[in-house]
Amino acid sequence: MKKFSILKVMTQQLNLRSMRLIVPLLFSLLLFSVGAAAQNITVKGKVLTEDGKSIANASVTVKGTTNGTACNDLGEFQISVPGNSTLVISAVDFSTREVKVNNQSSLSITLPALDKALGEVVVVGYGTQRKEAVTGSVASINGDKMREIPAPNISQALQGRIAGVEMSQTSTRPGATMQIRVRGTRSLSADNNPLVVLDGIPFLGSLADINPNDVKSIEILKDASATAIYGSRGANGVILITTDKGAKNRKPRISYNAYVGTQEVFSKYPMMDGPQFVALRAARGQYNNGQDEANDINTDWQDLFYKTGLVTDHNISLSGGTETGSYNFGLGYYLNQGIIPTQQYERYTIRGSLDQQVGKYFRVGFNSNTNYNQSEGNQVGLYNILSMSPISTPFNPDGTTKRIIRMAADDQYVFTKDVVEQLKDNDQWLNETRGFASYNAIYGEVKAPFIDGLKYRVNLGLDYIQSNNGAYTGQGVGNVNASTISAASVDNRYNYHWTIENLLSYDHTFAGKHTVNAVALYSSEQSKFNRSNMSAQDIPADAFEFYNLGRAAGQITIDPANQDYQLWGLQSWMGRVMYSYDNRYMISATVRSDASSRLAEGHKWHTYPAISAGWNITNESFMQGVNFINNLKLRAGYGQTSNQAIAPYATLGLLSTRPYNFGPSTYGTGYYVSQLPNEDLGWEFSKTWNFGLDFSVLKNRLSGTIEYYITKTEDILLGLGLPPTSGVTGYTANIGATQNKGFELSLNGTILNNVNGWTLEAGFNFYTNKNKLVSLASGQTRDEANWWFVGHNINAIYDYKKIGLWSSAKDTADSYLSILEPGGTIGMIRVLYTGNYDPVTHKPVRAIGAADRQIMDVDPDFQGGFNTRVSYKGFDLGIVGIYRHGGILVSTIHGSNGYLNLLTGRRNNINVDYWTPTNTDAKYPNPAGPISNDNPKYASTLSYFDASFMKVRTITLGYDFSRSLIKSSNIKMRMYVTVQNPFVMFSPFHKESGLDPETNSFGNENVASNGFAIPRRVLTVGFNTPSTRNYIVGVNLTF
Amino acid sequence: MKLIQIKSVIVIALFMLLVSGCSKILEEQPRSIYTPEFFKTEKGVLGGITSQYAHLRFIYGQPYYYNALETGTDEYTYGQSADGNHKDMDLSGVGSLTPTSSRSDVLWGTAFSNINTASGIIENAAAVGISAALIAEARFFRAFDYFMLVQTFGGVPLDLGAGELKFNTTPSRKSVRNTVPEVYTKAIFPDLLQAINDLPATGRVTGGATKTLARLYLSKAYLTYAWWLQNPNNIPTYPQTARTDPDGHDATYYFQQAYNIATQAIDNPGPFGLENTFYDVHIGGNDRNKEMLLYADHTEQSEFYNGAPITGFQSEIGNDGRNAAVWFVTWNYTNIRSAPNPDGTGAGVSSVQREAAQGLGRPYVRMAPPIGVFTNTFAEKTLDSRYDGTFNTVFRGNWPKGGTTNATLYNANDMPVTPGQPILSFLEYESQAIGIVYSAGANFTGKSYSNVGAGRLPGRADFVVAPRGISRLMFPNLWKMGTYRTDNGTGLGQPNAPLTRPFKIAKFSELYFIAAEAAVKGATTVAGKTARDLINVIRARAGKWKFSNKDNAAFVVDNSAAMIAATPATIDVNYILAERSREYFGEGLRWFDLVRTQKWNELAGTYEICGPNAGDHTPLTITRTIELKHYLRPIPQGQIDGMEMTAEEKAAYQNPGY
Repeated sequence: MKKFSILKVMTQQLNLRSMRLIVPLLFSLLLFSVGAAAQNITVKGKVLTEDGKSIANASVTVKGTTNGTACNDLGEFQISVPGNSTLVISAVDFSTREVKVNNQSSLSITLPALDKALGEVVVVGYGTQRKEAVTGSVASINGDKMREIPAPNISQALQGRIAGVEMSQTSTRPGATMQIRVRGTRSLSADNNPLVVLDGIPFLGSLADINPNDVKSIEILKDASATAIYGSRGANGVILITTDKGAKNRKPRISYNAYVGTQEVFSKYPMMDGPQFVALRAARGQYNNGQDEANDINTDWQDLFYKTGLVTDHNISLSGGTETGSYNFGLGYYLNQGIIPTQQYERYTIRGSLDQQVGKYFRVGFNSNTNYNQSEGNQVGLYNILSMSPISTPFNPDGTTKRIIRMAADDQYVFTKDVVEQLKDNDQWLNETRGFASYNAIYGEVKAPFIDGLKYRVNLGLDYIQSNNGAYTGQGVGNVNASTISAASVDNRYNYHWTIENLLSYDHTFAGKHTVNAVALYSSEQSKFNRSNMSAQDIPADAFEFYNLGRAAGQITIDPANQDYQLWGLQSWMGRVMYSYDNRYMISATVRSDASSRLAEGHKWHTYPAISAGWNITNESFMQGVNFINNLKLRAGYGQTSNQAIAPYATLGLLSTRPYNFGPSTYGTGYYVSQLPNEDLGWEFSKTWNFGLDFSVLKNRLSGTIEYYITKTEDILLGLGLPPTSGVTGYTANIGATQNKGFELSLNGTILNNVNGWTLEAGFNFYTNKNKLVSLASGQTRDEANWWFVGHNINAIYDYKKIGLWSSAKDTADSYLSILEPGGTIGMIRVLYTGNYDPVTHKPVRAIGAADRQIMDVDPDFQGGFNTRVSYKGFDLGIVGIYRHGGILVSTIHGSNGYLNLLTGRRNNINVDYWTPTNTDAKYPNPAGPISNDNPKYASTLSYFDASFMKVRTITLGYDFSRSLIKSSNIKMRMYVTVQNPFVMFSPFHKESGLDPETNSFGNENVASNGFAIPRRVLTVGFNTPSTRNYIVGVNLTF
Repeated sequence: MKLIQIKSVIVIALFMLLVSGCSKILEEQPRSIYTPEFFKTEKGVLGGITSQYAHLRFIYGQPYYYNALETGTDEYTYGQSADGNHKDMDLSGVGSLTPTSSRSDVLWGTAFSNINTASGIIENAAAVGISAALIAEARFFRAFDYFMLVQTFGGVPLDLGAGELKFNTTPSRKSVRNTVPEVYTKAIFPDLLQAINDLPATGRVTGGATKTLARLYLSKAYLTYAWWLQNPNNIPTYPQTARTDPDGHDATYYFQQAYNIATQAIDNPGPFGLENTFYDVHIGGNDRNKEMLLYADHTEQSEFYNGAPITGFQSEIGNDGRNAAVWFVTWNYTNIRSAPNPDGTGAGVSSVQREAAQGLGRPYVRMAPPIGVFTNTFAEKTLDSRYDGTFNTVFRGNWPKGGTTNATLYNANDMPVTPGQPILSFLEYESQAIGIVYSAGANFTGKSYSNVGAGRLPGRADFVVAPRGISRLMFPNLWKMGTYRTDNGTGLGQPNAPLTRPFKIAKFSELYFIAAEAAVKGATTVAGKTARDLINVIRARAGKWKFSNKDNAAFVVDNSAAMIAATPATIDVNYILAERSREYFGEGLRWFDLVRTQKWNELAGTYEICGPNAGDHTPLTITRTIELKHYLRPIPQGQIDGMEMTAEEKAAYQNPGY
C-alpha cells in the first residue's frame, strides 16, 4: 500500500508542477518493480550527524527493493518494512550506511560526513580512490561549492577556488571562457592548456560546452605522479569533470535551478569629457576642431552605446535510481545579452546518464552531454566609441543621426546603441557563431565471476563538435566611405572524435591490511578536424546576409589558408598499481606508453613513469593519544609527463603558398618551402617533484593542504626560426628548458559550528609559482624578437623602463636631457639610462637607445582566493573572492597600442593626469612633447601597472524555505540574491582608472595598432567589452 | 540472460572495432596543406616559379624597406611623424643604425628563401620536364636576389646548407659568407648569362622575365662590380678580400661589358621601348606599359590574388606583401582648412579631404624630401616635365566628394574658392615667393583656416609654400607612385587600403643610364651612343609634355630641343646621378646609386629642411655622419641570433662597425 501511495504522491506533485510534457517521457524510461510485502512493522527513526545534529531529507530505502522514504527537515522518518530487512540511509555529503532493522521500531542512525570523515572518494582518472589514500596532488571541488558563483561555464566558476590553478580572463564578451594554467606556464610555442577529461573521455571541446549545473565534481590533477596516467598529455595538468549521475535506491527527484539578473557596466572606460578634451587639444596645440566638432559640445559616447545586459539560466533535472540502476536527465538554458548592443550568448544543453546492472556480473551505461549555443554581435567593437571626439554629437539638428563624424584628422563612422541595433534589424551587420557539440561516453563492465575484485570495462567515447560562423557587413557599414561594397563570409568547422578504452582492474584487500588496486589500460583515440571557409563581396541584397554567397556580384574567395584538415591518433598502454598497508603506508606507481601520429616514424612511442608514496601518520599507534590531530598525511611523488600540443603534420615540413597576379586579371599561386621536416621531433618532457602535507585538526574543524613542487620542462617544442640564410623560415624542434617552482596552501575551517544557530565557515587558498626560462637554443640567452630571456618569466616584457618625467628646466639640465634625449623637452617621459658616464665630465656618453630596454617579469608574487559562508536559521550569506599580489598588469589602452592615450587631441583620450607647466608632478607626459609614431615617445611604458588587487567576486544572500514555509519534507527550496563583481580593492590600476584590474584580452587583441607588439601570450587590459557588475535573483528547487 | 548475451556481443564487437581500427591511426596524411614533397612534382615546380614573382611584393612596396632605400639619401630625410625606423636611417644624430634597427632586414629575410626556391626549381625542373625558358626565370630571380644582397650587405653565403647554389632541405643553423667577387662571378653573372640565353624576348606572362630584363640586370651588375673593383674612395669590403677578379679581368673590362650588354639591349628591345612622355610612364592605369621591364604586381580586381586587402582601413604592413610605401612620403594635406564664412571665421572646413587619388592618398608623414630636391635636383621645372610628373604640388578642393555641401569656402586672404580650385600650392621657384607671409603657428590669427602653417601671397586665394619653406611637415606628395583606383565613383574612394598599383622595379630607360655611366667610366662607345647621346635620349623625352599636373589640364608641348641644348658638353658621374634622381626620384634606387658610385657622403652629407611644426619655414642645415662602414648595411640581428655559432664567429659574421 505504502509503495503505491508514494508513487501517487509523487505523481500528484508532478502534476501540480505542470510537468506534463517532460515527466511522462522521462518516467517511461523507468521500471518499477512492485513486489509483495512480507510481515511489516513500522519503524520510526532519526538520522543525525556525528555531532548530533539532524540531517534533513536523507533518503531511506529498504535494501533490495525500491521501497523507501525520505526524512523530514528534522531528520525524522517513518517507514513500514519487514522486521528482518536492512535499511540503506544516504544523504548528500554523507557516507551511505546500511542498518539492520532487527525488529526494532525506533532507530537512531548517525551518518559520517564525507569530507570530514575523509571517507570521501575522489576521481583520479581511470578509477576512483579514497581521499585518504591519495598520494598525488589532486584538488577536488564538488559541484555545489562551484555553483556558489553563478557562472556560464566552469572556468569562471573555478576562478580563485583552487590553489595552483590560475584562471585568467582573456575576454569579457558574453560566453567567453577563461585561460587555465595549472602550476604556471611551461611551454613556449606549444599549448599550455591542461587536458580536460569529461566523464572519463578526453575532451576536445570548449569548456563553454559543459553546463556547470550538470557537474557533480571536478578534480584537478596537478602533479606528474597524478597526471602520468595521461602520459603525453599530462604535462599541463588534467581536469577531470564528472557530471551528475543518479543514485541507486533513490526515489525520482526533480530539481529546478534558475536565476535571472541584470548586468551593468562595472566601470566605463575613463575617457575625457568635452572640456577636458578641449584642454588637451590646447595643451598639444596640434589640432584644430574638425568640422563636426565644437568646444561647447559634451557628449559621452559610451552612454549612448551601452545597454543594460541580461543574464538568465534555467536548469531542470530528473534523477533517481533503483536497486540495480540509476539515471539522471537534465535540460538547461542560458542566455546572456551583453551590455554592448547585439552582443549575446545563448546555450541549450541536454544531458542524460544511465547506469544499469544486468544480472550479477554486468553493468552498462552511458553519459551524454549535448549543447547548442549561439553567440552574436562579436563584430561590434569599442574603439570607435572610445576614440570618438567628445566635442561632437551624433545627432543632426533635425534629430536624425549622422553617418560619420569629421574630427580634426579623422572621420569616424557613428556607432550608437540605436545605430547598431538598427543595422542588425535591417540585416546589414551581423556576425553569429552557432555551435553544436555532443559528448557521449558508453561503457560496459563485467565482473570476473571467480576472482573477487577483478573487473573488465570498456569505454567508448563518441564526440561530435561543430561550429558555424556567418558574417555579413552591408554596403558602407562601419566605413567612412558609404560606397564600400558589402562582404559576407561563412566558416564551418567540424570535429569528430572517438576513444576506446579497455580497462582491467583489480581491487582487493588481503588479510585486512594489504589493499591493492591495479589498473591496466589499452586505448586508442582518433580525432578528425575539418574547416572550410569562404567569403564573398558585393552581396546584391542585404536580405541574403551570408546565406547564399553564390549570389555575390563581386569576388568569391576560398582562401586556402582558411581551410584545414587535421587527423591525429593516439595509442596507449597504461598500468597503475596503488597499494596501501594498514592505511598507514601508501604507494602508487604508474607507467604509460603513448604512441602519437604527430611524431615522425621511429619516434612515435614514449613511456612515462611516475611514482608516489604517502604516510598516514595519524594511523600510527604512537598517534593514538593525540586527539587534536584528526588527520596528518605526508606525500611525495615524482613523475614524467609530456605535452602533445603540437599541430599534426609538424614533422613533415610545409610548402607555403603565395597568390600572385600577372596583370590585373591573370592569377597564379606560388609555392615555396617554409618549414622543413624534422624527423627527430619528440615531445617536450616535464619532470615534477611534488611534496604535500594534508592535515585536519580540532575535530576536523580546520583542515588543509600544503604542497611544494618543482617542474622542469625540457626539450621544449619550439617553432624555431632558422637564420634566413638557411633559405627556410623555420622548423619545429625540441629546444630549451623551463622551470616552475611553487608553494600552495589551502585551508578550510569551521569557525562557528552552530553556536546559537550561527555557523561560520571559511576557506582560503594561497599559491606562488616562480616561472623561468632555463635555456634557449644552444647557449643563446636572449631572444629579443620573441621576448624570451633566460632567467626570466616566459611572460616577460622587454621595453624601456619609465622612471618618471623630465620635470623641470633645472632637472633637465642637471640630468642631461639634451644628451640623453636629443630634441627632448620638459615633461616628456624619462626612461632608465643604463649606459656609461664620462669619467671626467660625469655626463652620459650617449643618447638613450635600444640598449636601455629592460626585461620586466609579468608574473605575480602570489595569488589565491577566499570564500566564507555564514548561516543562521535558514539564511546564508556567502562571499567569494580572489586576490593577486605583484607582477605587471599591461593596460594597452594606456600605452601606445591602444591609440587611446595619444595625448595629441587627435581622437578622444583616456582621462589621464598629464604634465602641463602648471601641473608638473603629473604621471603622464607633456602633450606638447616629442612624438614617436602617433604616440608620445616611450608611450608603451605607460601601459605597465602594478597588477595587485583583491576582488570580491560574489556576495550571495540566500534563504532556505524548507525551514519554515514549506512543510513537506519532500520539497526543498532555496532562493538567493547575488551581486557579482561588487568591488575591487588594493588595485593601483583600479584606483587610477576605475577599471576592473582583471585582464580582458590577449596581447595582440583589442588594440588599434600592433606597432609595439605585445606578444599574444601576455594577457592585457584592452578595449574589450567592459566588465560588468551583475545583480542576480535565483532559486533552487528540489522535489 | 538474454541481455547478458547481448552485452557480450557488444563487448566482443567493440574489441573487433579496436583491433581493426588501430593499425592506421598512427599514420599521417595531410589533406589541406602541401608538404615539401610536392615541390618535386611538375605543378610544384611551376608554382615555385610563380613564387619567384610573388616574392617581389615582400620587398617592393614594403614601406620600411622603401625607407631603407631612400631615407638618408639626398632624396629623403625623416618626416614629422617619423619613428626610429626613419630616424635611424637618416644618420643625422637622431638615431643609430644597428643590426636590430636596420630595415634592410626586409630584404635579407625575403631573398634567401627565394634563392633556395630558385635552386630547388633549377634542381627539380629537369626531372619533371620543365623547359629551359622556365628554368631561366628562376635563374634570373636567383641572380636578382643575390645582386640586391651583395649591394646591400657585401659578400653573402652561396651555400645555404646543402652546398653552393644547391637546394637546401636541412635545418642549417650555421652560415659562412662568401666574398663579393665570389657572389658576382659564381652566382650573378653565370645565372644572368644563362637567363639571357634561355629567356624569351616577350614575357611568358604579363610582367614576366625577358631577355631584355636579364640584360638590364647583367649590365647593371657588371657596372656595379666594375665600380667595386675600382673602389675610387677606398671603401672597405666585407668579408675582406682583394679587389681582384677571380676571372682575371679588371674594372675597365667590366665597364665595357656593362656598356656592351646595355647597348645590346637597347638595340634589341623586343616589345619594350620608351613611352612618349614621362607622364605616360607614371600615370595610373598605364602601369604595365612598354617601358616596364619588372614590377611587383598588384590588382584591384581580386583581393585574394592581390595578396592584400583592397578596401578598409588597413595597416601599412602585413604578412601579405602590401604596397604602401608611398604613404610614408605623403604629407598630411587633410589638415588643410578653409573657412565657411567670408571673413575667415567659423569652424574650419576640411577642403582637401583624404582621397584615393594619385596626388593625394593616405598621409603618414614619415619621410620628407629636403629642400635641395626642389632647388637643386629639380631646379629646372619649366622645360623638364619630370618635376611636374614626379610631384603633386597643388592641392585642390575636393570637399563635395566627402559630402561637405558648402558651395564656396574662404581661403587665403579670405578669398573664395570653389571645388577643384587650388587650396594650397608649393611654389616652383623662390622668386615667386617674394612677399610671402607665413602664419606663426597653425593658423593666421583670428582665422579658422590654413591649420598647417602655410603662407599667403597678396591676391592669391590659395595658400602657398616656397621651395625654401618646405618642412618635415609639409612637402609635395610623390605623385608618380600615388594611389590609383577605378572604384572611387563620385566619392573619395578607398585611400586607406594598400595600393592596388604595381610597384615599379626596373624600366627600359635605365639601360641608357647604365650605358652612359659605363661610358663615363671609360667604356669605348659606338657611334651615336656616347654618354651624352644616351642621356639626351632620356632628356629629350623629358622635354615632352602631355599633361600638367600643376594646372590639372592637358599641356602638350615639346621642349626636347631645349632640353638637349641644356645638356652639358661633358657628362660626369655627378651629372648622371642628378639625372638619375630626376628620372627615378623616390623609386627606391637612390641608396644603391650613391653606394655604387661611392658618392653618398658627397651628395647627401648635408641637407636643408625646415622644422617639423606648423609654421616652421626657416631652413635648417643638417649634417649627416655617413661613415665608411655605412656603405654596407648591418647583417640583421635575427640572422646573428638564429645561428648556432660561437660569439667570435658571430662577431666575425657581422659587417665591421656594427
